[in-house]
Amino acid sequence: MKTTKRSDAKRPIIATRKSCNPNGTGLSHYVMMDSKK
Amino acid sequence: MTTAATDRCASSRGLQFNTGNGNTLQPLDIGHNDYLGLVDPDTAFWALIQKDKLGEALSPGPFLQQYREKAAEFAAEMDRFRFAVTPSAVYFNPTERCNLNCSYCYLPETLRQDGRHMPTAEVLSALEILKRYFLSTLPAGFKPQIIFHGAEPTLNWEALLAAFDRYGDAFRFGVQSNGTVLSDDQYDVLMKRGVAIGLSLDCAVDEIVTRTRKTWDGHSIYAKVVHSMEKLRGYPNYSVICTVTGENMHQLVETVDFFHQSGVSTCMLNPVRCTRQGARDIKPADQDISRYYLAALDRTEELYRETNRRLVVANFANILIAIMAPQARRLMCDISPCGGGRSFFAVSANGDVFPCSEFIGVPAFNGGNLFHDRIGAILKTPPFKLVTGRKVEDIDPCRRCAVRHFCGSPCPAEAHQMNGGMDRTGAFCELYEDQVRYAMRLIADDRHSAFLWDDWDRDTTTTFELNAC
Repeated sequence: MKTTKRSDAKRPIIATRKSCNPNGTGLSHYVMMDSKK
Repeated sequence: MTTAATDRCASSRGLQFNTGNGNTLQPLDIGHNDYLGLVDPDTAFWALIQKDKLGEALSPGPFLQQYREKAAEFAAEMDRFRFAVTPSAVYFNPTERCNLNCSYCYLPETLRQDGRHMPTAEVLSALEILKRYFLSTLPAGFKPQIIFHGAEPTLNWEALLAAFDRYGDAFRFGVQSNGTVLSDDQYDVLMKRGVAIGLSLDCAVDEIVTRTRKTWDGHSIYAKVVHSMEKLRGYPNYSVICTVTGENMHQLVETVDFFHQSGVSTCMLNPVRCTRQGARDIKPADQDISRYYLAALDRTEELYRETNRRLVVANFANILIAIMAPQARRLMCDISPCGGGRSFFAVSANGDVFPCSEFIGVPAFNGGNLFHDRIGAILKTPPFKLVTGRKVEDIDPCRRCAVRHFCGSPCPAEAHQMNGGMDRTGAFCELYEDQVRYAMRLIADDRHSAFLWDDWDRDTTTTFELNAC
């Protein structure tokens, strides 16, 4: 996972967002464990 | 189709937050000692603000400036995600029959007891139609998913085997099974071919499982399912679904313990879908299921800390991902419109096409027949439009809910069958309120990775990282 561990000092604001190509996203009540594409 | 986020008509330039055409930022108590949530419901943008810094954060400064610069991009991203994806997966029922009579099944009892298998030749013919359709709609090289689903799909083993043989290169296959039919040798066949396998087990206690999942004459299937789980131990493309009802919710902590002991790495703790009366009879109250569900999540984190081995609860992981990377979701129930009819659809054992398998028992949602109608036309029929057009902006109280794009007001089948229409909510509003708050608390404390797959963000790029304050 590409996140960095935060320091012990609490940050005043935490805000991140990641984006990707949504094509090929998703099922409903079933999850496939191999790669998305 | 666009939403309020991108369809601006007032004269306001949108320079101010929370007025005119400015972005909305709703504060949200997440139950954390130090942080409040701040969410733009239209763009699914969020921030966690130290409680004593909220005034500063909402005053002109670098935080608002950075978000203002990205807000239009995030709004467009949500619109693309919500309205512009095309189907890439199919729930395929190769039989109407099931050897079990589960209390909450969304398929009518008469079908499961006396229904037909789709003949092997028809299954192959259907897959050929689907293959050609997806070749015309998906990017070159993209493999769509076919999930053999039920009823109990493995009862039609011969057809499944023929499908894997002929179309193994064309599709990524999955099977959702009750885990009581296949032999060890048949599981070996599935594993050798890399077929994704989902099993269903609702509890670690036989007697509780048997209350809702049982044979037609009421006998236990527990031992057979546990044997199947043991057979699949270590197979990476395998998961277990626990359907949470009023009968088993008290045992959710013990259930995740059992799954973890059994080597399961991914499970789903799906609240029972209340499409049919049998499910509604055992529907837990929101506040009750929520309490046990969150306790089970707590337990998965403890297990990870104790063993360094995760048990990912996929439906919760999906909420976390919906917050951190909205388009990277793996499941499409928790967004509106949901994935039914737009990222996947369902094919019944006679070739009829429905937006989702939840609708297979509801004739009004039959959009046509795979063998007689063009798929592209089926996707545009009124029954499909009812589902693909259902959006939270048209539902009360969702239209004013801060977490509406982390929830999606699932499920349309429940809204229609249980609550009276597509403009109604689904069954478990409060459970979603609680899950989002729980997820935000994890993020605030940097504990969220214990609840996610290692590679969940592999195909993503970071588009916002606050670098102020």
